[in-house]
Order: sequence, then C-alpha cells, then structure tokens
Amino acid sequence: MPRVAIVMPQLGESIAEATVVRLLIQAGDSVTTDQEVMEVETNKATMGVTALCSGTVEELRAEEGISYAVGTILGILDVTEEEVARTGVDTLEALELKRQAAAVEEAQAQSGEQNLHFAVEGDGYEEVVPQVVPTIRGLSVPTGTMGAHYISPRMRARMDEMGLREADLSAIVGSGTGGRVTVDDLEKFLDYIQTWPSSNASPMRLAVADAMRRSWTRPLATVGTSVGLDKLLQHRKAQQKKPGLTLYLLRAFALAVKEQPAVAGFLIGSKVVHPRSYDIGVAVAVEDGVLVPVIRNVDQKSLSDLVQEYDDIVDRARRRRLTEADTKGGIATVTNFGTFGLTWGTPIPLPNETLILGIGAGVKKPVWSEKISAFVPATEADLEMTFDHRVVDGGGAGLLLKRIVDLLQNPAEL
Amino acid sequence: MSVTYIDAIREAQEHLLRDDPRVFLYGQDIAAFGGAFKATKGLAEMYPERVLDAPISEDAMAGLAIGAALQGMRPIIEMQFADFSSIAFNQIVNHAATHFYRTGMPVPITVRLPSGGTAGSGPFHSQSMEALYAHYPGVVVVTPATVADAYQMLIDSVKLDDPVIFCEHKFLYRWLKAKSFQGDGLPIGKARITRMGRHATVVTYSAMVHEAVRAADRLQKESGWEIEVVDLRSVKPLDIDTVLASVARTGRLLALGEAFPWGGVTAEVVARVVADGFHLLEAPPMRLNSRDTPVPYHPKLWAAHRPTPESICDSLRKLLSY
Repeated sequence: MPRVAIVMPQLGESIAEATVVRLLIQAGDSVTTDQEVMEVETNKATMGVTALCSGTVEELRAEEGISYAVGTILGILDVTEEEVARTGVDTLEALELKRQAAAVEEAQAQSGEQNLHFAVEGDGYEEVVPQVVPTIRGLSVPTGTMGAHYISPRMRARMDEMGLREADLSAIVGSGTGGRVTVDDLEKFLDYIQTWPSSNASPMRLAVADAMRRSWTRPLATVGTSVGLDKLLQHRKAQQKKPGLTLYLLRAFALAVKEQPAVAGFLIGSKVVHPRSYDIGVAVAVEDGVLVPVIRNVDQKSLSDLVQEYDDIVDRARRRRLTEADTKGGIATVTNFGTFGLTWGTPIPLPNETLILGIGAGVKKPVWSEKISAFVPATEADLEMTFDHRVVDGGGAGLLLKRIVDLLQNPAEL
Repeated sequence: MSVTYIDAIREAQEHLLRDDPRVFLYGQDIAAFGGAFKATKGLAEMYPERVLDAPISEDAMAGLAIGAALQGMRPIIEMQFADFSSIAFNQIVNHAATHFYRTGMPVPITVRLPSGGTAGSGPFHSQSMEALYAHYPGVVVVTPATVADAYQMLIDSVKLDDPVIFCEHKFLYRWLKAKSFQGDGLPIGKARITRMGRHATVVTYSAMVHEAVRAADRLQKESGWEIEVVDLRSVKPLDIDTVLASVARTGRLLALGEAFPWGGVTAEVVARVVADGFHLLEAPPMRLNSRDTPVPYHPKLWAAHRPTPESICDSLRKLLSY
C-alpha cells in the first residue's frame, strides 16, 4: 500500500520552523482529506496541519512541544492506490526521490563553483536531512526577556555624537539579531523623524528629562492614602502669616522622617547613606519645567518661622533666580499637584533622593461619622509617596505616610 | 597576451639583475634548472655569475646572503618552499633582523618564500609563514596578491635596506593572470581597497584576496550586500589606517587569512581595530583562518581546511545579521 507523508508545511514567509502544540490523531486512526491532524505554533500564529489525503495513520513521528523545521516528515499515512490517483499527492517514495534530486542539483551547483578554483572533483552529495533551523541566525547577542538591549560600540558612539540616550531608542523596532536596534535602524529612524515638525528642547526641559531618566533607573513604587484637611484649614485661618498647604506637608514630612531617618536613606552599593540634616525640597512649576528649591532644617523651625523663608524661595524659583546652593542637598521633596486641580498622581523622586511626597486637591466629601451615625462633610485630599523600593518597602512607606497623616491632624504642633 | 604572477616574479628578478649590479640570486636548483617553480627560468644563461645554485641548507643560504649584504650586495634568496625557511629562521630573525639595531649597518636581503596551499601539497609544502616573521622587529613582510604587486613589490623589496620576507603565493603562480605588470604604484606599507562596499569589511592578503572578492560578488548577487575587500599587501608594516577607515564606513570586520588560526595576522588586525576603532564596530569582529591542524593532503580535506568562498560567505552572513 502506498504511504504518504504528513509534512510540516511552509507556514509563511521567513518561517523556518514551528512547534507542535497539540496532536489530534494517533497511530491507527483513520483520517480524511484536509482533516486537521495537529496544531502547530510559530512566533506569529497557531495553525493546523492537515492530511493531504484520506488514509490510516501508520506512524506518528511528531511529539508535542517539539519544534520541527519546515519540510520535516511528521507522520506517515497508509493510503490506497485509488486515493493517491484521486488526489495526485506524492507518495513517500516520490517525495524522497524529489528531495534527493534537489540535493544532487545543489551539490553539483556547489562543486561546479569549487572546480572553478580548485581541482576538487566528485559526484558526492549529502542527503538533505531536515533540521530545526533556528529562525534567529548569527552571533549570539545578549538578550533580556524584553528583547535585545545590547548596544554596539558603534551605536553607542553615534548616540553620544547625537546626544541620545537609551530611552530615545524606545520608538525603534530593532532589525538585528534578537531584535537588537542596529546603527542602520537608528539612522533610518533619524531620517524618519526629520519629516516631522520639531523644535529644540529648552535647557530646562533637558535638565528635567535628564533628572527623570536617571531617577527612573531605580525600582520606584508609589503608595497613597487620604488625609483629612479640615483641622489644618481651621488652623491656617487662625494664623496671621498664613502657611500654605505645602508648608504643613513639608513640616510633617520632616518630623516623620526624623523619627526613622533610614527611610530617606540613599542606597550606594552595599551602604545606606543617611540624611545629615532635614532639608526638604519643594517642587515649583516654572515655564517648561520644574525647579526644586530646598528649605533647610525644616525639623528645627516652626511653621510661622518657615512662612517667610518658604514664600521667598518659591518666589525666587518662579522668577528663576535660584542660586545653585538653593537646590542642593535635599533629602526628600514635597509636591502639591493639587494646585493644578489634580486629585492624585505618582510623583517621581529626584535622582539623588529616595522619597517624594505629593498631595492632590482637597475635595469636600461625605464621611461617615460613627459618633453621630451619619455622613458629615469633610475636606480630604489624596496623599501619595513614591519611594525607591530598594531602600524602603511598602510597609515602611505606609508607616511613614500614616505618621504624616497623624501629624497633619495636629497642626498646632507643627 | 597575458602575464602570470610567476611571470611577474621572474621578470622583476631579470630587471633587477639588469639594473642593479649588486643584485644576485641564490637558491636550490635555481640556475640551470630554473627553480622548482621556474621563477628564475633562463636567468642563469643571461647572468651566469649572479644566478647561483645553493647547497641544500637554508641556514647556509641565509647566512651567505647576510654576509654578502653587509659587503654591499643585494641578494635575493629563493627558499624552495616557505615551509623550509624554518631552517634559516635563526639567521633571519636573530641576525638579519637585529643587525641594524645592534650595529647601525643595514642587511638588505630579500627572502622569497613560495607560500600557501595548492591542492594535494600537504603539510610540508603548503604553509604560510608570514605571521612568524612579522613577529620580529626589523623585518618587512610583504604578501602580494596581484600580478602587478608581485612585480613591483619584489623590485621595491630589493631596494629596501631592511631584510624583506617576500611571501609569494604558489596558488597564484599560474592561475592569476593580468594584461601587464603595470600597477598603481602603491608603495610597500599601503593597503589597497580591492573592492568597494559599505556593509562589511574583509581584511585579507595574498591569495585570500581573490577568495574574498568571489565571496563578496556572490553575496552581492544573492542579497545585495556590498562587501569591501581590503588587500593588506604587506602584513608588516600593517596599514591600519586604511583598515580603520574601511571599518569606519562599514562597521563590521572580518579578518581573513590562509594561515593557521592561532595568533597571526588576522588576530593582529582584530586586536588593532578593537583597540583603536572600538567605537566604529557595529558587530564583534570576526576572524576566519584555516583550521588548527596540519595542512591535509587530500584535495577535499584541504578544501575543508582553508577558507573558501563558501565559508567566507557563511562568516559574512553571520557578521551581517548581527
């Protein structure tokens, strides 16, 4: 009885192999023409392999979970002469003869070229044994789970020349081994963006970009809670020189950190560098960027003492009149994005700081009061803290945030 | 009418004998017999006192040449096969190479080494010795790949005051033809861009230049890759500037040689490109040499031992797909 092969089909351009994910037949089964006999998966899709004609499964060579090259014989069907005649399929013998002929032709083509140069003679050929041909060829490239991140020395030099950072490559789909972005990919991308309108980024924008890029190299996490603001607002009303909400936060933050300074520590290698003094920065929005002037020894000054200093330094920041010293040496930063009408955010700490505390806009909400068993109106805001998870864990960050919330409930003591 | 590589070597020696009375040829069976490869055919009849048969002692041949050079002569020594020059190694690297450094007196000898493999020549008649001699300070090592270079570089070698190792490739002797001996006048120490390209650079020399060009042509036809081929011409001095300029254009380097893989010219090229042109590299530089075994006799084994257009194409595909 003639035998007909079940062959791994050509599944698409540039696909050299596919993995058998599910066998739908076993030896002895009867199959009909075009019946799906197994499922295979490529890096692009899952597809069915079908029987070319009706017959009985004589032998099943494929195994689930194994990758086979296109053209590999996955199984053999016993079929009738009539079926072969009806469908016009190649029998196993015919298929192998064809392959041998192709191999001879190739060997001859190759030896013909060799003869041109060297007296190498012979009529030998090697039978083509289908093998799993890896779809990615060439030299090994260090790759991560997210694809190749290796940057060649030439690429690095070109990036330096253009002032580019790795983050700038995020839009480029790499054509190199393992998805590596090659220097050609980069040049094509640079040509492409030439066709878009562009402008020069301001020095302020570049400074912020650089700080954020450096900060983002760390594992940052954000936690949040809500904080009642009513007591604070009452306290504020009673003051002659009225401290801003940010200033209350600044003071509470400094006192809370001082109780457990290690949370604001900075991890360098195997050392945690602790705060030397409780100098806290304040994020101030300026044109096309943000500045962070630092207020010194916040732990040692009362709220009323801080008002003048705070107003002065924020004013200078807005007028871009800060000195270099004004922005140096902070251990953490406070940002009030509530001033933009936002209720929550995930602020990013400065690259040289571990913590940043952010507060959203105060919102009047009904809050359940156990005392009178009724909803009462209360002003609340969301308080978020982003931290370097290498230094602090969620628990530690939560405790710190809770302590800040508590301190804000006793504004008279700030 | 075409001329061959061996014609160029014979012609250059005839012209040297004609133009410079200090020149004489010394080697085994080079006079009446005309040399094992007929590189001196007919020269003994023209200059019977200056084309001399030597005893079968490479050591003595080199020693005589050094002495004659110190007395103002310009000897050309023919080693029957490069492989046997190992017997003269002491005279060449310890005496000739160091003499100017030690005494201020130059030793202008030229040692012709019939080098490289041909089908069926086996381990003693196929070797490439250029890396060994290039290792030593005080020696110039040239490796012409063209008919014109074989002619002009032999004449230039004899004019140099330094000892020159002239590596002539036996495979090219009768296979390589040209219309004339006329070349482009590049001096010793300058590499040549044999074939322009922009995707990868193959740095090679001697017979491998032709294999590289064939591989490059094939890749161009097959997939449009444009491969630049740099012919070093002399491996010492090594024209690293031309190599770096080429790698600057292409970003990818394949150093190709017929000699054994351990150390050698290809390793030197890669080391220098990495040291001076790291920022130019888009892919790790590659080397392709013969196998790390003695050269086999059987033509099929030999074809598998040395780089071929097929193996060069394979290496280039890897390099280009990186």
